[in-house]
Amino acid sequence: MAIFLQLLFTGIGIGAVYSLVALGFVLIYRATNVVNFAQGEFAMLGAYAMVVLTQDLGLPYWAAIPISLAVMGLIGALFNLGVYYPLRHRSFLPVVISTIGASILLTNSVLVGYGPAPESLAGMFDFPGIQIGEVFLDSQYLLIIVVTILLVAFQYFFFEHTLLGKKMQATSQDKEMASLLGIPVARMIMLTFIYSAILGGLAGILVAPILFVSVGLGSQVALKAFAASIIGGFGDVTGAIVGGLSLGVIETFGAAYISVPYKDAFAFLVLFGFLLIRPQGIFGEKVAQKA
Amino acid sequence: MPLLELHGLSAAYGAVEALKGLSLHVGEGEIVALLGSNGAGKSTTLRTISGLMKPKSGRVLFDGKDIGGLHPESVVRLGVAHVPEGRRVFPGLTVKENIMLGASNRPGVSRRELEAGVEEMFELFPDIRRFSGALGWTLSGGQQQMVAVARGLMSKPRLLLLDEPSLGLAPLIVQQVFRIIARIRERGTTVLLVEQNARTALSVADRGYVLETGRLIIEGKPDALWNNEEVRAAYLGGRVTAGV
Ligand SMILES: Nc1ncnc2c1ncn2[C@@H]1O[C@H](COP(=O)(O)OP(=O)(O)O)[C@@H](O)[C@H]1O
Ligand SMILES: [Mg+2]
Repeated sequence: MAIFLQLLFTGIGIGAVYSLVALGFVLIYRATNVVNFAQGEFAMLGAYAMVVLTQDLGLPYWAAIPISLAVMGLIGALFNLGVYYPLRHRSFLPVVISTIGASILLTNSVLVGYGPAPESLAGMFDFPGIQIGEVFLDSQYLLIIVVTILLVAFQYFFFEHTLLGKKMQATSQDKEMASLLGIPVARMIMLTFIYSAILGGLAGILVAPILFVSVGLGSQVALKAFAASIIGGFGDVTGAIVGGLSLGVIETFGAAYISVPYKDAFAFLVLFGFLLIRPQGIFGEKVAQKA
Repeated sequence: MPLLELHGLSAAYGAVEALKGLSLHVGEGEIVALLGSNGAGKSTTLRTISGLMKPKSGRVLFDGKDIGGLHPESVVRLGVAHVPEGRRVFPGLTVKENIMLGASNRPGVSRRELEAGVEEMFELFPDIRRFSGALGWTLSGGQQQMVAVARGLMSKPRLLLLDEPSLGLAPLIVQQVFRIIARIRERGTTVLLVEQNARTALSVADRGYVLETGRLIIEGKPDALWNNEEVRAAYLGGRVTAGV
């Protein structure tokens, strides 16, 4: 039982990171109908921003985190202007290729600066964690879980209870109609990119002390997050969260009880299962075709 | 000076010329019907007025100011609301949210003003009040049409562009929608009404224009248009026995 709870805790922690990146996928997909293949690179950049600020510049965590997030917001805005906006009237494929290009560019730029050797980042707290009975709650995992809960709550409040949130939803549902009502569509999409980049960056910042910080971090996390959003039902916010958490738990249990080397394979086995049996995902397409 | 004037307006979808030098005017307080068969260019006319399409040539004068080629977001801020073909109610938002967003053209509008505006719309459209919390996609066609019109009115427009409000509705609902259009004008809003259902449209309109393949065929008073056998047979789909 103790082992079960211990694994569940770890699985939820790592799953929360997948959820954050998956949320970024979903928000951009809903706003622009395009899959952003550079979403994982946002996580990688967030992690490297922490390396730069805390190790190269020697800033404390409490200062480095908000600065990193601000930098991520700026990167999201530039990404929108450079990668999406010029192609916004084109079809799906050119924009997707543009995001893949951006992903390659970002990865290789970091490679030039930091090389292929991974960096490692210290944990954010001095105290290692809390022991409850036989279960040990690692402080970094606890932080990840708490931050994810707060973010999900914030996001729910924002989209369901603020006018700006409603305008962003309207934009993602019908851009032409939104503009006819006077909703500044370009600005709504800009905000979506900024927020998604911050979400991705935050995932990278949170996970950096657990994983090694390397240029491969982006694709490593993004593949899982992408699988998570398909499992949850692509385009569904709740689905992204549930999908991310399930994936984290499944791969943790799979690694513990079945095989450690095949840890990464479990995520994709589950993904294949869904694609075969329920391709629309757990929460897929609740909105029926328009009357 | 008319509230809206189109001068030699042309517009195209790539190589398809949908409007070829259209001129018309709508006076303040009028209901003007824009008629014609499928593909005549009626929707294109409204899309060019509201900024969804850029004119290829010609001018769109609203209140004397050339608004041709402005973004839709700017046009609606000047007081032109476009309720497009197919109603386009946001499927994943509630009726109340849909209506509220209609005021997005008014900067700094307070939550209380929004609530009051929604309340006013529910008084104008009592049938949709009980669906206030229902998601857009769950509504019937008639209910969606009322939400779409209410949403358009929330911008407090001087000119309302309505594209085929009767499309796909049961005859009884059509009557109801047209009574509402008459009331909208009584409230002081000018209406440019696009319809294929010529008879019903002419029953509320002050004047009408008939389009074919992007050109104006004839304009006139409802009786004159309806009683012109040739026009009626060729463009209005009317039977000889029908009257206004
Ligand atoms: N998105 C489009 N792309 C290409 N051609 C279009 C498009 N929309 C309309 N058209 C063409 O423009 C002409 C006018 O269309 P429209 O204004 O929609 O007519 P109406 O509203 O009177 O039925 C038609 O020939 C139609 O085929
Ligand atoms: Mg039409």
